Amino acid sequence: MILSKLKEAIICLGAGRVTLPYPFAPHPPAEGFRGKVEVDSEKCIGCGGCANVCTPRCIVVTDPSQDTRVLEFFLERCTYCARCAEVCPEEAITVTEQFETATNDTQDMHIKAEVYMGSCQRCGRCFETSTALDKLMVTGFQGVPESGE
Amino acid sequence: MTTQQVIQEMREKFGEGLRAAEEPAPGALYLTVDKELIRPASRHLQDKLDARFVISAGIDRLATEGCLSVTHIFSRDKAKQFVCLRADVSENGAEVEAITPDVVAAGWSEREIQDLVGVKAKGHPDPRRLVLPDDWPEGVHPLRKDFPYDANPEPVEGAEVKFKEAPEGTSTVVVGPFYPVLEEPAQLRLFVDGERVVGCDYRGFYNHRGIEKLGDSVLTYNQIPFVAERICGICGFIHSSCYCEAAEQAAGVQAPRRARYIRSIMLEVERIHSHLLWLGIAGHILGFDTVLMQAWRIREPIMWLCEKITGSRKSFGMNLVGGVRWDISPDIHPEILDCIGQIEKESLAVVDAVQGDTTLLVRLKGVGILPEEDARSVCVVGPTARGSNVDIDARVDHPYAAYDELQTRAITNDGCDNWARVVVRLEELFESIRLVREGLKTMPDGPLMVEFAEEIPAGRQGVCTVEAPRGEAIHYLITGENNRPDRWRVRAPTYQNLQALPLMIKDETIADVPITLGSMDPCFSCTERVETVDVRTGRQAMLSKEDLLRLSQEKSER
Repeated sequence: MILSKLKEAIICLGAGRVTLPYPFAPHPPAEGFRGKVEVDSEKCIGCGGCANVCTPRCIVVTDPSQDTRVLEFFLERCTYCARCAEVCPEEAITVTEQFETATNDTQDMHIKAEVYMGSCQRCGRCFETSTALDKLMVTGFQGVPESGE
Repeated sequence: MTTQQVIQEMREKFGEGLRAAEEPAPGALYLTVDKELIRPASRHLQDKLDARFVISAGIDRLATEGCLSVTHIFSRDKAKQFVCLRADVSENGAEVEAITPDVVAAGWSEREIQDLVGVKAKGHPDPRRLVLPDDWPEGVHPLRKDFPYDANPEPVEGAEVKFKEAPEGTSTVVVGPFYPVLEEPAQLRLFVDGERVVGCDYRGFYNHRGIEKLGDSVLTYNQIPFVAERICGICGFIHSSCYCEAAEQAAGVQAPRRARYIRSIMLEVERIHSHLLWLGIAGHILGFDTVLMQAWRIREPIMWLCEKITGSRKSFGMNLVGGVRWDISPDIHPEILDCIGQIEKESLAVVDAVQGDTTLLVRLKGVGILPEEDARSVCVVGPTARGSNVDIDARVDHPYAAYDELQTRAITNDGCDNWARVVVRLEELFESIRLVREGLKTMPDGPLMVEFAEEIPAGRQGVCTVEAPRGEAIHYLITGENNRPDRWRVRAPTYQNLQALPLMIKDETIADVPITLGSMDPCFSCTERVETVDVRTGRQAMLSKEDLLRLSQEKSER
């Protein structure tokens, strides 16, 4: 009994202080950590693959006009599986290491990406142009080429 | 006894009553019998064919086959085989004979089918509601296909919980639904004579989240793994692995070898952290918080390791049907080995210290006794079973992932008390460390995902079990249209273990109830993964029930 208590005391003393000073000192996560996603609307082609795989259904795709597709990310419901980034063919969605997302304003967790699309002459619905050149011909296209540096 | 012999014997015994028998994949035999024969057939399986009851599933097949089905799943452990016994009933007079009088372990499952699918179990010894809230209207069964996943029927006014009558000469001590030992809701009503517990009644299922319903109405095959791993906050990876293996079995594909090794390694990593977590909680329940602090300190590096391997401490998000998303690259192997080596060293020191500690021993030895015979009849699983000398372990009996090559053994103990369950878990901890080492050493190279030729056809079945830290979890899957299952049935280990609680706490003192409950490492959220819309509970206090309901609904709205 006494021996057990002594052994337990030695374990505790040997461990010393293990509590980290977070949040007073930063504690960056490990490389590859899945935090809040970022969306680059210039790379997005509006295919909607991300919305298709999103388990909590927090990515909503709407077509407010014939040439525009809007992708809205309601990230307060995000479960950080990073499937959207995995399936994105253009790498428009990237996973950051940001985990400190507590906020008083849910707007901070909303991302809206507007994409200019081609529109079908028959049904008027948005569709993705097959080449980048076609995309430049789309009325209202406002895409900016990536900087060469 | 081979599959053919089982079918042969059932045919001899039940003749034309055995409508169909098929074995689409090795290890899973599907039998269909007339509904009148479900009870004798179950009894025959249990008594003569050495089958252990696992779970039942109620299935709404009205749209496709015009019937409701009840499927009782049994495991023939030594034959490495599941036997699924199906009986169909029509919608009018949806009733089958209860198997509970013969197969005690089916008590909860049959009540659940009554609640959710509406097939009555005739002659059930305790036909009260199990899953549905008490103010849920009669005759509304949420797992029927015509019940929308987001429907919220009007609650019945003035509904009362039907509790068991306390035996004469006893008083009732009500514990829960919210109480400080286990941070999950469940109500235990202990019938006590003085300090001694004579019996108890259990009312749980306050944590329904509608997961099974979502699985067959909203989610798609590859979304379910991410919901499955949220069934449990501690052993989530086992549920996503189990679902994926069941879906792969139904689809007729196998994950690549390397992916299966990665699953096995992560499953063992999860077991290591879960057993250390449990050790801490057990100490905490006994008021010995040094064990809590030190066990959790030792555990923390493995959580960071998980973050490094998968990108998250918990909810790894690693499984998809057909393989895993990320590799465990050789660069990280030394770090994993260092981490588990350190955990092994420190855990050994803790085990060495506490096993002579009489303050612990007097609370654990000879307390919470579950005799082997009872453990077998209630069909408890995992360390709760193995602590009562029942030699079952899904890794040995139904090898999944890479356990056909990573051989292990079922660690048993014949103490049958709380201490036996502690010893089993501690031994398993070191066995898991050995398995991680061996897995890393023998992991083959190769792809991580298997390529699917086409979509998974409807009407296929798959059943898989995974040994969670608390016992085996079962996922049973029937494929359906629209890229989603027709039925996805989940059983977490605590579902079966909790049913043994009345036996374990009988004749104990009230003070020993929490640790006895704790000794089975219960996980109520897992158990209550089942069905439908909202947590609906409210107690009369300063606020009325309606106020509470409104407040909690407002809070949970997006």
